[in-house]
Parts: sequence; structure tokens; C-alpha cells
Amino acid sequence: MTGAVEPRRRPRFRLEPYVEFARTAMAREATYRFDVFTTIGSFVVRVYLLRMVWTALYAHNAAPHELSRRAIITYSAVALLMGIVMDIDQTRALKDKLHDGSIATDFLKPIIVPFYFFADGTGEVLFHAVLLIPATLIALLIFHIIVPGPGVLAAFALSFLLGYLVGFFLNFILNCSAFWTLEISAVQLIVTWLTDLFGGELIPLILFPAFLQNFIYALPFAAMFSTPLLIYVGVIPPSRYFEVMGLQLVWIVGLAIVSTLMWRAGSRRIVVQGG
Amino acid sequence: MRWRRMAGVYRQYWRINILTTLEYRENFVVWFAFTFVYHGSSIAALWIVLSRFPSMNGWSFRDMAFLYALWMVAHALHNTLFSTVGEVPDHIRNGEFDRLLVRPLDTLFQAIATPGQVFPDELVLAIVTFVAATIYAGVHVDAMFLTFIPLIFIGGALIDLGINLIISTAAFWFVKVDALRWIFVQLEQEFTRYPVTIYTRGVRFVLTFVFPFAFMNYFPARYFLHKGMSGLGLPPVAGLLTPAIGIVFVALAYVFWRFGLNRYQGVGH
Repeated sequence: MTGAVEPRRRPRFRLEPYVEFARTAMAREATYRFDVFTTIGSFVVRVYLLRMVWTALYAHNAAPHELSRRAIITYSAVALLMGIVMDIDQTRALKDKLHDGSIATDFLKPIIVPFYFFADGTGEVLFHAVLLIPATLIALLIFHIIVPGPGVLAAFALSFLLGYLVGFFLNFILNCSAFWTLEISAVQLIVTWLTDLFGGELIPLILFPAFLQNFIYALPFAAMFSTPLLIYVGVIPPSRYFEVMGLQLVWIVGLAIVSTLMWRAGSRRIVVQGG
Repeated sequence: MRWRRMAGVYRQYWRINILTTLEYRENFVVWFAFTFVYHGSSIAALWIVLSRFPSMNGWSFRDMAFLYALWMVAHALHNTLFSTVGEVPDHIRNGEFDRLLVRPLDTLFQAIATPGQVFPDELVLAIVTFVAATIYAGVHVDAMFLTFIPLIFIGGALIDLGINLIISTAAFWFVKVDALRWIFVQLEQEFTRYPVTIYTRGVRFVLTFVFPFAFMNYFPARYFLHKGMSGLGLPPVAGLLTPAIGIVFVALAYVFWRFGLNRYQGVGH
């Protein structure tokens, strides 16, 4: 027999509202049409720049045996492609709503609030994911990036998805810190620079000096960019897929736990002052 | 008389900036940390690449550190003195810009002297980095160096101001120019990081004659480091032309600004 009173605070989970949140977010992003051109334009220019940089470096030095010139240009191009969806501040709505106080009304709605942020962020990311189609075509036709076999591509796609989730939770944790301090834009930018460098987005981590490598692999950033990228260019062989993706999964679980704890502690701190 | 009034306004501008910074101390510390990590991670990236590939078209990490530090000081000088020019599009959008037009002082001067939270912390960090890089790169410091380096910094800051002013002027027509500015900031930062000899001819031409970023650091660095290889056949002495290039570029940008200002009709508030 079901109880007469359902606990008010835990709404039953239905998927539809969240799908709708994601659709709204996509439509919102689509209104910034000029950003489409700047995203694609800056992608092309940056791949072009990195190709010139790697070409110059490979011409005057002994090439590393793990990566040919073409492989490293492919690496950079794919890293920038991933950046189109990875470098988005998906859950900034949380920070914005904490700033202007509108989060208070979200708590009154019959939704699970963190899922709302996930849906909203996913919608935004999906819109940018559409840009991957022209950008990938450019990478293939103009920069002639290497395309691995279907098995490697599938492993890359899975690892990319895991990397995306690591990035999502890291982003959520940062935006959650707005519960305690409002000045987090600078901290977020700092984390972005560190991700670019220590995640292997700019320079493959295997080219880092040995003593730095131990330290880098202890950080979550490598699980975001480096793992899928090294799978793509074949530096990580199929025999190690299980191990590296398992590590990504460990990061996801760990960061999800931290996210949950922070969300619980933070949402209890909400004090609505007038308004 | 007019100049004295402007000097008075400018003094007040700095007084307000410094008082604001002192008021929001935590904010200042966080943003200084950001500046530090931003430049630190750029230099670290160069070091990592050059520890694996010791030569970039004949430039070592020591040379590249000097190249970066030259750009860093010029860029920080611009950020300290002229970053407010970049806020003009915001003022246009929210209608505040129209206020500047009816006041009895030059509009651009007023835009430059709109107080915010400007503090010369990045400039101090840049100068410290530059001194360290100069020693590290073993650049010969003589009277010539000490005379020209400050002028080169000023010229470089003026090149930055020119770009900033051109983008802000575009806001008279397009209102929202954030994306355009973001692209220029990114590209300037990435293309000034390497010696221009690694680029294709077209890119070298653009960086020398269209948006003369190469004069902020590459040409002066080539002169002081005695690098023989030339970009676009310009002699090494071209490295001392930065101040002149800066003045010409900013003058062209100012002409464009006046042109835009004369056609500006407000955004309808």
C-alpha cells in the first residue's frame, strides 16, 4: 500500500522536463549566430598556427619516435575540435542564478535542480557539437588529419564521452563554489589555463619532462583531453584501453561524489533575502 | 589650460582606481593570481616544448623567454594605461557613451580616463619578468639598449592601443563586438609567442604590415639577440622602428575613430 503523503521534497523523476530544458538551451545558443563564425574561424586559424609551429620544430630537431609530424598535427587539430565542446562553462547558469538570487524559485519547482543544470548544459554543448561537423570537415579536407580505423574511433568516442563527464563535474564543482564565494571567474580562468596545459590540449603529455609527468597524471585534467587524444593517435594501444578508461571512470565517480557533497552543503546555505 | 584640466582629471582617475583597488583587496589578489598563472603557464608551455625540441628556427628557450617578456611589458603597459578603451562598446550599448559626447573634453580622453579597477600590478610583474629574461638571455645591456627599450615598450603599447581602438570603433556600427575582440586578443597572444620566421609568407606580411604585432617583440628581439635570419627582407635595424610604427598605427586608428564618431547616432535610449 502506498502512503497517503508523498514526501514533498523529492519529486518523482520524469525525463520530459529535462529534455525540454536542453532544447531551450539549444535554441538560446542558436541565437548567437555570429559566435558560429568566430568559433569556426578561430579553430581554422589556430590549427593553421599549430601546424606551422610543429612543422618548424620537427624541421630543426630530432623527431620524437612516438609521434610523427603528421600525427602531432592531427593531435592538435583533434584537441581543438574537442575544445569546441569541452571548453564550455556548461553550468555557469548555477553561478549566475546564485548571483542574481533566481535560484530560490528553482527550488520551488517540481524538478531536481542539479539535473536541470545538467540538462541546460547538455543543450548548450549539443548546439556546439553541431559545429563539430563543419570543423571536422575542414580538418579532414584542409589539414588532412589522420583517420584511424573504426575500432580506434569507437574507443576514442567512448573515452571522449568519459572525458566530457570529468569536465562536467569539474565545472560543476567550480560553479558550486559560488555558494561560498562570489568571485570565482578568475579561479575558473586559472583552472582553464591549467587544463589547457596539464590536460594535454596544447602539448601532448608524453612530450613533457619525465619528472612533470608523475605530477600531471595525479591530476584529473589528463582524463579530460590526453586520454582520448592518445587513443586517437595510437600512442595508447588497445591493450591499455581497459586500464585508461577505468581511470577516467574513477575520476568521474570521485568528482561526482564531491559534486554531490558540495551541492548538499551549498543548497543548505541558501538564505533568501527579500527580493 | 585645456591640458592642465586634462592632467587634473587624469590624476583623479588614478586616485579613484587606486582607492577602488584598496577597497576590493580580495578581488585584487584573485585577479593578480590569474595574471600570474596566465603568463606563468604561457612561459611554462614554451619551456616544455623547447626542453623536447631545443631549437625553434634557431631560437632557444632563452631567446624565446626574451621574446615573450618584450611582448609582455608592452601588452601590460597597454592594459594599464588604455584597457578602458575596450569598455567603449559596453558604454555605447547601455547608452552611457552619449554622456561623454556632451562634456567639454576630448571624447577619447574621457573614454581612457573612465575609472574602474585598474592597477599597475601586471606591469610590475612584466617588468620583473623582463629584467629576469634579459639577464637569462644574456642580452648585452648598454646605453643603446637602455634608451631604446622604453621607447619600444611605448611603441608596442601604442600598437595594442591601435587594435583596441579599431575594435571599439567597430562598435559604432555593430554594437556587439565581444567576439571580434576575443579573437584578436587570442591571436595576438598566440602569434607573438614565436619568431615570425616560422610562419608562411602571408602570415608574416600580415603581422608586419597590416596588424604590426611583429614590431611589438619579434623585430626588436631579433635586433637585440643578433639573430641573422630576416623576416620579409627587413634589415635588423627595423627592430628600432617600433616607436614610429606605434605612432603611425595609432594615428590611423584615431582617424578611423573620428570617422566612426562623426557618424555615430546613438543606439536609441
